[in-house]
Order: sequence, then structure tokens, then C-alpha cells
Amino acid sequence: MIRLSDEDLINELKKRFEENKKNLDELTRLNKILTKVNNRLSEAEAMKSHFISNISNEIINPFTSILALSKTILESSKESWKQVISMVALIHSETFNLDFQFANIFAAAKLEAGEIMPEISKIDVCGLIKDVIDSFKYEAKKKNLKILINSEPVSKIQSGLFFVSDYLKIKLILANLLSNAVKFSFTEGVIELEYKLENGSLILSLQDHGQGISPENHDIIFDRFQKLDSGINSFNRGHGLGLSVIKAFTDLLGGEISLKSLPGKGARFIVILPESQGDIEGITFNGNELLFDEE
Amino acid sequence: MNQILPGNIHFLYPSTIFASHEEWNITTILGSCVAVCFWDPIIKAGAMNHYMLPLWNGQGLASPKYGNIAIKKSVEKMIQIGCRIENIKAKVFGGAEVLNSKNTQFNIGDRNVEIARIVLDELGIPIVSSSTGGKRGRKILFNTATGDVKHKLIKPPEPSEILNNLPPTAILYKNNE
Repeated sequence: MIRLSDEDLINELKKRFEENKKNLDELTRLNKILTKVNNRLSEAEAMKSHFISNISNEIINPFTSILALSKTILESSKESWKQVISMVALIHSETFNLDFQFANIFAAAKLEAGEIMPEISKIDVCGLIKDVIDSFKYEAKKKNLKILINSEPVSKIQSGLFFVSDYLKIKLILANLLSNAVKFSFTEGVIELEYKLENGSLILSLQDHGQGISPENHDIIFDRFQKLDSGINSFNRGHGLGLSVIKAFTDLLGGEISLKSLPGKGARFIVILPESQGDIEGITFNGNELLFDEE
Repeated sequence: MNQILPGNIHFLYPSTIFASHEEWNITTILGSCVAVCFWDPIIKAGAMNHYMLPLWNGQGLASPKYGNIAIKKSVEKMIQIGCRIENIKAKVFGGAEVLNSKNTQFNIGDRNVEIARIVLDELGIPIVSSSTGGKRGRKILFNTATGDVKHKLIKPPEPSEILNNLPPTAILYKNNE
């Protein structure tokens, strides 16, 4: 047996108490994180049920109005063509919204099922941008928004920028960014889209001058069903799926998305996508490679 | 010369799941990610996932990017294609510590492997073989008809190689900051 002096004993006790305290602190810290995650999960669950109850508002109501409008058109006389045009415009707007929301719902469902894969092809970036902006033409017109591409009006967009990646996924990424920008811009605002190729990556940047996002919300906006203004009087439609789909798609294509925004200063989303390295030919297994560990 | 494999080849992307009762060769490349291969010897069907992080914490979509979700969804898919849960066997691969982190306690690879053991145990699915951990990535080839998994360790790149082959996004990100 070792004989300990009183001093040694006290020191040893001190050391152990300190260790205990450290462990306790660590435990408290971890508990805090756990509580946070727990809250987040129950929020996620609540948002899911919110989503399901919202479906009637967001999907069934537009269908009802489309049916009613088309019925009125069928019954209207030739003389009232001016009215018919405005009704067709309403039908277009409703179906456009539905189509876009379905695209997001199905993309999210496929992503959650793990069934989505990149479909790589050579894409015409300018054509894609033109397509997306064209599809939002009427939505932007409603709010008198001006869209600039690389500081030029849309009509002046150059062509001839090719990039190897997934056409449909980039299209949905851009459509979601633009949809948000249109949604959150004030009337007569300006939306600036910039695109360029740099170090073999495609950089898309979209700036709006709307209400902006406060820094504490920058993380949660990429969560599913997350809408910052989810109150009953929320003016903005949608399910809060768009940004979570964008995030998952940029992940899938090996890219990154970042956000610069302050309340009242608008928001700038920047998506950086690396060019896809050809096909998956690098994965072909050669005879020699089928051996187990080479070591 | 490429070896001719029976059945088709499917390259499994991260965060995805593939399941089939026909003969497929599912292949993927793993670093700190984990792939769990499921096989039913009775109806000769298999499934494989490839997840990157252990647990979904409410962030983003509840996709098979996360182990707890990927494993449960893969088993659901096996059951959908006609397997019985009591017949399913699992093999676990990956979870290497590819990036040299000093903080071994929070090694993502180990945590990815750990979650596979916990969730599979919960589901009562036995792990019949595994190759996990270490410092080297793995190439996996899983035959859904025979349940065979071939795997090869990948040579770890030199640090200079990593620096020279940084994805362009990494470089840009640095410049922006």
C-alpha cells in the first residue's frame, strides 16, 4: 500500500472533483443539444401535419377555380372575348402554380425515397435561363418586376454557354430561386440574375430586393415545410419545400448553396455547381479490381 | 479487360437506395460514408443504401442521406419487393476516417458505422459480415442475386494530391470568404 500525505490526498480529490465538473459540464452541453434536436424533430412533425392540412387550400382550391373558370368560358358567347382572355390568364396562373408545386412535391418525395439520380447531359445554360425566366413572365408582370441578367435586360441574353450537368435539376433549382425572388420582391422591384463559368464551375446568383431574411433564420430556411411566415394570413403560397429541394439537388450535383441576406436588404442566393466529370465510367470494374484487399 | 458481370450494373449515388429482386450489380465508392447491403437468401433479392451522416435532426429533407432513415427505408423497400424481415441479412461497409481528424471522438465514419449497428439491432437484422473503419476508402460491388459483396480498399491520396484536386467549389468558397 502507498501511504499518501494529506496534501496528496487533497490534491487527488481536487483533481477528481474537477474532472467530475468537466464531465457534468459536457453532459449539460450535450443535453442542451439534445433538447434542441428534440424540439426540432417535433417541429418537423408538426410541420408535416400542417402540410397535409394545407393541401386542400393549396391544391384543391386552385382546381376548383380552374374548373369553374373553364366552365364559364365554355358557356360564354363570342362577344365576351375580352372577359375570356382575362379568365384564361387566371387559369394559366393557377395551373402554372400547381404545376410548379407538384414538381417540388414529387422532387421532395423522390429525394426522400432515395430514388433520384443525376441525369447528366450537355446543357445550354443561356437557353435554360431563358426558359425559366420565360415561364415566370406572367408572375413577374403581375408585380411589375424587372428581371436583369448579368445587368442586361432578358432580351439581350447571349447564347452559347455550355455546361455538363443535369438539365432538369438545375432548371428546378433556378425556378425555385426565381419563384422565391418573385414572391418576396416588392412591387416594381428588380431581380438580378447573374451567371458565369469560373474554374470549371457554374455560378448562379440571384438577388432580390425584398424583405430579406434575418441571420438567425438562415439555417432553418433549408428545412422542409419551413415557411417563415406560416401564419393564417400568410400572403405567400407554397409549401416550404422549394429551398429544401434546392439544397438536396445541389448536394446531389456536388455543389454548394449560400445565402447573403439581412432584414430589409433583400436576399442573394448563390449556387455553385461543379461540372460533372463525364459519365460514371470511372466506376467500371476491371478483372484485377475484383480482388479483395490488395495489402 | 473488363470482367463481364452477370446482370446489370447500377452505380449507387450517395443519399440514394436501390432494391431489386432481379440480378443487379450495385456498385459505389465509400469514404466516411456507409453502405448497408441487404439480402434475402429465400427470394434472392437485395437492396443497398449509401448514407453520409448518422442521424437526421430535422434539417433539410428526411432523405436517405442519413443513416437512421436510409436503413429503415431500405428495409421497407425489401419488404415491398416481397422479402420477409426475418430472412433479411445485412452487410456493412465503409465508415473510414479519410480526412485526418485529430478529434477522433467525433469521427463521422465511426458514428456512421455505429448507427448501422444500432438500427439493425433494433430491427432484428443480423450483420453477417462487415468491413468498416480504417483510413482507406472502399469500392463495393454487391450482387443482388447471390448476396456476394466484393470490396476493394482504395489507396489513400497523398496530402499534396488532395490539395491539387480540391473541387473547384472548395477553392471558390475560400476566395469568397
